[in-house]
Amino acid sequence: MLILKTLARAPMHGWGVAQSIQQTSEEVLRVEEGSLYPALHRMELDGLIDAEWGQSENKRRAKYYRLTNRGRKALAEEADHWRQLAQAIARVMEAV
Amino acid sequence: MNKFVKRLRALWRRGQLDRDLEDEMAFHLAMNEKQSGDSTAAQRRLGNTTAFKESCRDLWAFTRIEAWWQDIRYALRTLRNSPLVTATALVALALGIGANTTVFTIVSSALRFDMGVDHVERLVALHPGEGLENVDPRSQPSMDFANLRSQVKTVENLAAYRFSAVNVSDSRALPERYWRVQMTASGWALVRPKPIVGRGFGPDDERADATPAVLLSHRAWERRYGGDPSAVGKVMRIDDVDHVVVGVMPAGAQFPEDADLWTPMTAKDLMNPEFRRALLIFGRLADGVTLAAAQSEVDGVARRAIPGKVTGPAVSVRPLLEMIGVYEARAMLYAMMFAVGFVLLIVCGDVANLLLGRAAARAREISIRIAIGAGRVRIIRQLLVESVMLSTAGGVAGGLVAVGGLRWFENMTAQGRRPSWIQFTMDARGFAYLAAISIGAGILFGLAPALQLARVDVNSSVKDGGRGAEGPRSRRLAGLLVGFQMALCVVLLAASGLMIHSTVKLYNAPLAIDPANVLTMRVDLPETKYATPDRVSEFYRGLEATLGSLPGVTHVSLTSHLPLSGWDDFRGQVENAAGKPGNMGELSGLVVDANYFGTLGVRLRHGQAFQKAEGVVVNESFAAKFWPGQDPLGKRLRAADGRDGQPWMTVIGVATDVQQNRLSPLERTPLFYLPYDAEPQRTVYVLARTAVPPGNLVEAFRRAVQNLDQNLPAQDVMSLENHIAQQRLDSAVFGKLFAFFAAIALLLAWVGLYAVVAHGVSQRTQEIGIRMALGGTRRDIFTLVVKQGMRQVLGGFAVGLPLALVVTRGLSHGLVGVSPSDPATYASVAVVLGFAGLLGCAIPARRAIRIDPLAALRHE
Repeated sequence: MLILKTLARAPMHGWGVAQSIQQTSEEVLRVEEGSLYPALHRMELDGLIDAEWGQSENKRRAKYYRLTNRGRKALAEEADHWRQLAQAIARVMEAV
Repeated sequence: MNKFVKRLRALWRRGQLDRDLEDEMAFHLAMNEKQSGDSTAAQRRLGNTTAFKESCRDLWAFTRIEAWWQDIRYALRTLRNSPLVTATALVALALGIGANTTVFTIVSSALRFDMGVDHVERLVALHPGEGLENVDPRSQPSMDFANLRSQVKTVENLAAYRFSAVNVSDSRALPERYWRVQMTASGWALVRPKPIVGRGFGPDDERADATPAVLLSHRAWERRYGGDPSAVGKVMRIDDVDHVVVGVMPAGAQFPEDADLWTPMTAKDLMNPEFRRALLIFGRLADGVTLAAAQSEVDGVARRAIPGKVTGPAVSVRPLLEMIGVYEARAMLYAMMFAVGFVLLIVCGDVANLLLGRAAARAREISIRIAIGAGRVRIIRQLLVESVMLSTAGGVAGGLVAVGGLRWFENMTAQGRRPSWIQFTMDARGFAYLAAISIGAGILFGLAPALQLARVDVNSSVKDGGRGAEGPRSRRLAGLLVGFQMALCVVLLAASGLMIHSTVKLYNAPLAIDPANVLTMRVDLPETKYATPDRVSEFYRGLEATLGSLPGVTHVSLTSHLPLSGWDDFRGQVENAAGKPGNMGELSGLVVDANYFGTLGVRLRHGQAFQKAEGVVVNESFAAKFWPGQDPLGKRLRAADGRDGQPWMTVIGVATDVQQNRLSPLERTPLFYLPYDAEPQRTVYVLARTAVPPGNLVEAFRRAVQNLDQNLPAQDVMSLENHIAQQRLDSAVFGKLFAFFAAIALLLAWVGLYAVVAHGVSQRTQEIGIRMALGGTRRDIFTLVVKQGMRQVLGGFAVGLPLALVVTRGLSHGLVGVSPSDPATYASVAVVLGFAGLLGCAIPARRAIRIDPLAALRHE
């Protein structure tokens, strides 16, 4: 979900995704960078994201991932789901 | 789906995928390094790149399928490594699978009943019942079609048809004899195929003022009009009545009979008494109606229309399929399926034994694989893949065997007439069956060795060098397989023994005629042109004179039925001993002329043959049935045959019994011979005894008929020996097939027994050596080995015997003069099996007693 959300902002390469998640979560969430790749590939296979080789800022060959329509839908669903879960947990925790 | 395509693309560009992964990781590393400036820290942050790459690769691969592929390659390698086992198994499998596919194709084709009618199994035919006593038989009052059609509710589409031979002539081609079906429009409503050219028949064609119309079969259209669509509208002369061709049916359309032409059945035809006798009434059971319900309703309707006393059913309603010979023989066909199925099971037993033997040698290999982490399920799968590969290869070869077998069967049965839906060629169903049994057989014979091996005790077998699988359990399994093979073999031997016994009886049964050098021919005079008995007699007198004057012809005669080909049923009476007329009843008889007995060489026991129509001849069975212990000469009988006032005729001769019954030739039928002059027939068989080979005269006979009436074709011109061979074809074909299957089964079962006993001896070399060293005589050793082998044979016999008694009951239809539980046959089965068994045990046993105790003890 986090990966999808990150990619929803802009197409990015794997390193970028890892950096972005760390920075936006203010270093709370640290992704094990390597395990990011199997996840990315699975999503690519499932058609949630698309990949394309391109030039990076420093003129290296890099693989850019982009959200597909299906991915957007999946993200919306998961975000909904997460919101419900979070609210439920919050309600339980706030109950006296 | 999309995923599948992506994976496929990845499979295609495997190298590309690897490079991409490499680049992706390298890029990440480079970025990390640039950020932190430290390559070790960069690598640490990223983690184990190889593992990540590996799991990415797995995502893109067809892991499961590739594992199968691995198994297949491995299996191929193993099979190639033991060529002898593989080749033996392949030959056995090819035979077994091939024979099964052949028989399946034959049986499924024969029982398809694809007559162009939906739900053919719901069709019923109405037959005159037995319960009409003292009712004028010629009118068949119970079979009044109009009455039945208007009242019967349980049978829909009630229809009537008549099947007869007609002479077709027109200006286009020579006159020909065609089979014609006249059928009511209600019958046409059931027929699925529609005419490919022109139109079909409707109720309008049945009106009295309708122009006579004819529908051509595809065959007749090709033959007579060369498949020209403009044939529609042409005039065809059928039995000297002009008919307009209205359409052509597609090839293979043959309901209700395999006819060449169809014409409508008009109301006038239905009134014709001569038609009525030959009418066949049928229809389809209404939805949800059982046969019994239809029987009782139809019978009730028929009875109400009959004034006289009815003592039993007036009409009997039976499935239409019962009228088809193949349907009657289906038990026989199923028995044949069983027989080949058993052959395949025996083959599986043999192959399983072969693999079990090899399993012993492979125990070590398997143990190592298990030890280094292969799951047992994976091992079993691997072994099953191997056996299925083996059986698939066997199946491919079996397919070739089946193609050959079908061609052989086709040739063997080419002489006989058969319905057109029966085609002995491999079709889609045959291939599906082939595939199914190939894979099924592979799993079946692979399961035992696979389970055996997967149970291997890893520790002991890795240690002791590959003897782990050869425990007592494995030997017991092999013994069990052999016993099972023997049991199946008993069934097959019994079945083929019965068939052979029956065939021998059939061929040895006295025909009571001399069939050599007799030429036969069928002639059928159309009623339109030969309306009166005088004209019919005149024609045949002329024909007999012409044929008699041909060089090489010594006798010429006429008969209504050839030997082995049935008889006519007459309503008639027989005078009893006191000279009182008996009850009206069914009498079986032939119509023959005076020369018949002389031409065929039928001996007369008493009295003499008739010259004109001064008396009748009866056969011995007839005399024995009606006048037991009395002199039949001078007794009287009369055959009503639909006409009143048929005169009483005196018996002036008694002939020996001639085989007339086609289905059970050994049955003696009481028959009388009615003089042709008393009952001239339009359809007769001409018999001529010749001084030259009868084949030489075929053309001369055809010409003789044409010279007398150029619109009249001569049919079925063939020698009497040929005719008899055709009548016996079923028995000969089935007899050969069963004998063939039994021979294969015996051979395979014997090989199985031999292999197991021989393997046992070689495994026990050491033990036998010890026994001999301790003073066991050679005799003891011999008995020991033979006893052990024969235990399987006896066990197989004990199990196979009851099984055989059940299975062979299906054969009773095809058995002639032999009961399915014929003790002599079973005794010979026991002898054959016992002998084969002893031989199979004695050869390895001889090897066992030759064992040198010293060498045996050192053996290991």
